[in-house]
Formats: sequence, structure tokens, C-alpha cells
Amino acid sequence: MRHSLRLTTIGTAVCFLLAGLALAEITRAQGQTIKASNAWARRAPAMGSGTGHMDKTEKMGSMDKMDKPDKMGSMEKMDKMDKMGGAGNGAIYVTLSNSSAQADSLVSASSDVAQTVELHEVKHDGGVMKMRPVQAIPVPAKGKTELKPGGYHIMLLGLKQDLKPGEKVPVTLKFERGGEVRVEAVVK
Amino acid sequence: MRGLRASGAITIGIVCLLLAGSAGAAQFKGGLLTPPRPATDLALTTQDGNEFRLSRERGKVVALWFGYTYCPDVCPTTLADLSQAQQRLGKDARRLRIVLVTVDPERDTPARLREYVSAFGGAFTALTGPPERLAEARKAYGVVAEKRVVPGTAATYLFDHSAFVYVVDPAGQLRLMFPFGMSVDDMVHDIKLLLQ
Repeated sequence: MRHSLRLTTIGTAVCFLLAGLALAEITRAQGQTIKASNAWARRAPAMGSGTGHMDKTEKMGSMDKMDKPDKMGSMEKMDKMDKMGGAGNGAIYVTLSNSSAQADSLVSASSDVAQTVELHEVKHDGGVMKMRPVQAIPVPAKGKTELKPGGYHIMLLGLKQDLKPGEKVPVTLKFERGGEVRVEAVVK
Repeated sequence: MRGLRASGAITIGIVCLLLAGSAGAAQFKGGLLTPPRPATDLALTTQDGNEFRLSRERGKVVALWFGYTYCPDVCPTTLADLSQAQQRLGKDARRLRIVLVTVDPERDTPARLREYVSAFGGAFTALTGPPERLAEARKAYGVVAEKRVVPGTAATYLFDHSAFVYVVDPAGQLRLMFPFGMSVDDMVHDIKLLLQ
């Protein structure tokens, strides 16, 4: 009786241990399907305050339109700011590696360093460069995608600060399957 | 017999010239424009409000490209590559003039161009001017620049534009076109050849 009870106890303990390890392994594996490496940013001037306020020395007349924050949506406001000489834009590049057996994609990115962060693609069309926003940047199963100049990049619109060589820009990348990955892009 | 020898000599002479000429052409890494033609002058204004004339740059190689400061990727990349090429020229660095001609005069005011230039270490000259003059300049160099309002972006508008660097030699002739993505080493190689 005692003998079998001891075996049962040991057996149960071992089972729990194995189950625990398995769970830890599953959780660990899920968090690591996407890796981001070699993240870097192009140096860029913020140009102007970048806080949404217009430089008063530029185009005085149109300043009146900006003083109605309740009536204008933030997008329209940014458009006007952009149009009239607001904050500059930047680009972030990174290599994305997918270790999972399923294809994944980068679906959004965010950073405190810019007002808006978008995903863009540049296409060469007979010597003419065309840049367009994209909804997602694919990362193939067991493969990788490199964001680089002249191709895919993470676009920073409305910089809130200058990007100076040597500085590090924190960016959060969101993937369809792989969850969130945080990187620090080094400015070059 | 004498005539045959003479025509033989002439033939060899011509073949040698052709070989020398083609060897010269094969030396350049960028796109060679043959025959070279005078580079159309640019009567535009610099970011500091000074008058710029391409014709006053004789003795230097001028690397000319057309872009805009709101461009996040292609333009800063071209600029960074040209700046690096300039540094690698060493003592000849001063003999290269890097010039950006804006395709977006509406937003690229002289003040904005000044900030952009200084963010890149002041290594280049940025030009702007009346829209008609800028359009004439683009036409002269065969540059496409089309404003696009694109849905799905917070950017007010984007530009589809040619991404070549137009290279003018010290005699004021338009000689080469560097395609986007050409390596810095290749740029240095070609610029050095033109400076010889």
C-alpha cells in the first residue's frame, strides 16, 4: 500500500513537472517566432517644433485656420501642418526573421519619436521611384524580410525630435501572428 | 603596295582609337552619356538666398539630383551616399559639388532647405526657385516629378520622381548618370576619373 502510494505521488509530481516544462516551452517558443535585428534609422531633421504648432513666421494669414482644434480632426491638422512646412519625415530599416512554419507579417509600428508611423514600399518603375503606404510587410515562414533603402521601410511622419547619428530610437513592431517586438534603431 | 600599307596603317589606327575609346567607356561604372553634351545651366537660388549658376562650377565635378525634403527614404539615401563619396575623395573632396534641386518648392522653402542641409553636415547645396524655372530644369535633364495625393497615408502628398544623379564634369559637360543604389565605391571611381 505504502509502496504504491509513493509511486503515485512521485508519478504525479513528475507529470506536473513535465507539464510545467512543456507549457513554459510553448510559451517561450511563441514569443520568439519573430526576431528583429540590425534596426537603424536614417538621420533626419525634425524641422520646426514638431509639436503641432506652426512657426508663426511662416504664412501668417493661414495661422487663423489652426486655432480651431475642436473643429478639425487631428489628421486634417497634421495635413495642414505638413503642407505648410511642419515637421520632417524619417525612415527606419530592420531585418525581420520568422522562425515559425507559418508566414507572418508586420502590420504596424509605433514610436514616440514621430506623430504617425506607417509602413511604406518604394517601387522602381523605369528609373522613377514611387513610394506607397502598405497595410503589411510579409515575412515568409522560416524566412526573412529586409527593410532597406529603396524598398520597404517604416516611415516616421512628423518627427518630434531630430534624429542624430548615434542616437537610439525605440520602436514597437506589431506582427499579425508574432505579437509585439521592441527594437532600438541606431541613427546613422 | 604603298597604298595598301597606308590603308592598313589607317585601319589599324582607327581600330586602336575605337578600342581606346571603348576601353574608356568601359571604365565608367555609371551610365555614360555619349556623346557628352553641355549641361544645361541652372539659374536658381541656394538655401542661403544666393544666386547659383552651374556655369560657375567649372573645374569641379557637379553631382546633381532632384528630390524633396519630405522624402524619407530615397533622397536621404542618395545624399548620404554622395556625402560618403565626397569624404572618400580625400584632398579632392572640394572638387565635388553636390547639388539638390527641389521638386517641391511649395514646402521646401529656403529656411527648410537650410535646416535640411545642416542636418547632413552642410555637405551640399540645395536649390529652389520659381516653379516654372524648376520645371524647365527638370525638362532639360529629363527628370520626372509627379505630385501624388495617396490614400492611406497621413502625408499630404508624395512625389514619384526620377532618382538618378546627373554628373557634370569640370568642363561643364553632362557625362554620367548614376542610378539609384549605385555603390559609393563606384561613385568615387567615376568621379575620380572625371577629375583627372
